[in-house]
Amino acid sequence: MHFFDCNCYFGRPIRGSAAPVPTAEGLLAEMDRAGVERALVWHIAQLDASPLTGNPLLTEGIRPHPRLIGCWSLLPTQTHEFPAPTELFRQMREHRIGALRAFPQADGYLLNAITIGDLLEAIQARRIPLLLSVTRSVRWHEVHALLAEFPQLTLVICDHGSWGMDRYFRPLLARYPNVYIDTAQYLLDGGIESLVADYGAGRLLYGSGFPESYFGTMMLTLQRSRIPEEAKEAIAGGNLERILAEAQL
Amino acid sequence: MIGPSALSREFWETGQSAACPIYDMHGHMGPWSAIYFPRGETDQMIRTMDECGVRMLCFTHHSALRCPDLGNAPSIEAVRRYPDRLRAYCLINGNHPDLVERDVAAFAQYRDVYVGFKFLSDYFAVPLSDPRNRPAWEYADQHKLLVLCHTWGGSPYDGPAEVRRMAERYPNLRLLMGHSCHGEWDEAIKLARDLPNVYLELTAVFDDRGILEKFVRGVGSERMLFGTDLPWFDPHHAVGALLSADISDEDRHNIMHRNAEKLLAPFLGKE
Repeated sequence: MHFFDCNCYFGRPIRGSAAPVPTAEGLLAEMDRAGVERALVWHIAQLDASPLTGNPLLTEGIRPHPRLIGCWSLLPTQTHEFPAPTELFRQMREHRIGALRAFPQADGYLLNAITIGDLLEAIQARRIPLLLSVTRSVRWHEVHALLAEFPQLTLVICDHGSWGMDRYFRPLLARYPNVYIDTAQYLLDGGIESLVADYGAGRLLYGSGFPESYFGTMMLTLQRSRIPEEAKEAIAGGNLERILAEAQL
Repeated sequence: MIGPSALSREFWETGQSAACPIYDMHGHMGPWSAIYFPRGETDQMIRTMDECGVRMLCFTHHSALRCPDLGNAPSIEAVRRYPDRLRAYCLINGNHPDLVERDVAAFAQYRDVYVGFKFLSDYFAVPLSDPRNRPAWEYADQHKLLVLCHTWGGSPYDGPAEVRRMAERYPNLRLLMGHSCHGEWDEAIKLARDLPNVYLELTAVFDDRGILEKFVRGVGSERMLFGTDLPWFDPHHAVGALLSADISDEDRHNIMHRNAEKLLAPFLGKE
């Protein structure tokens, strides 16, 4: 299997962490140890400090490392802190940024059409993946409301909580064709097998949650799940390759 | 592959290891209000155990935890269906002293079923040291039973101070700190260092990278026990954490089976 992690970060968090990984080089060393080939990464300062602080740190950190694809975080454009869509996409192409994140609670805005509709409409039209971390900075009813406004959005729901959130995300998988779930925190016994049976292997992405979680936890869980080998390959990395390739930057 | 060790290769290729069976010391069974379980019933859980090389699961049925009207009966029934694979903890809820008295009095009738007691104090809002729980603690101490306590950092009901109080008061029982006082890792280490009858049970610890290494360095793997809350968490997730952590295969053997085999020996007729 070829693992392409959709959900990991580097950088020192402001909160205590048992095993932080400050640099992109440290992240790559741990990826090599675990057998993870590539990763869609972000920098913890994007959440802890500001997108204006963290995005440049991410850009600089991944610059020498083509195995790492960046994932900037958004801000609304009305306050003139963040570029308009056309300029944003140009910068993303220039800096190997393949996807975007939003931390609306931490960054003090509402993730809706009124506030950030210009960006969300463009992101939806160009099929650029947006990653939302449920346990960090967005609530389930906000995710549901966002998709009601932008039903074609390519949305990856990350870190959805280790206590079995199927009743929150399965309705979204059923209704919206471009919604994906990452495996970080999907510890539920039989969860992968059940989700693949109901929605196919195309809707699940391998994500580790590293450095807060080990790469190997969901690697072994996926490897031993009772699903076909081609489904494992898709979840391990194929699906992420596809949705990044579909993005029109 | 997720690591260079021999155990890593075996689990990666076959999902289990004959030389390293798993004793899961913290499980449940049946429905729970806030969660969908694809494999929550007894037969489904046995299937998971077979796939992951889990030789035995010590558990408390969710009905015992959440429905006093059903109590421990579903746990007893499941163990008697699978006596070679399951053992139960008798649930104690101090909000119902009549049931505590009844279940402690009946404990001896179920020595083929029970290995000890289970406390879920945070959920019941009854501290471990509450006098209403006393009959169970005294019985457990007298008979050298295992006592699995849900423990959580910062909790006034089952945080480190309560654990210390009970482990000191009842030195003959084995107190298994479920979730290892989650979040108050240094306090958990201190408790296990100070008190020889306290064990670090690892359910919900496996998802916190770096804590396994911290525990092995701080206490030693001889005091750590595998647990998953099955059917909440896939055992392969926990095994993946153990194989990923910077610890030795000897540590993994201790955590997955050796320590539990010693603790369970008196209850399995092996002592």
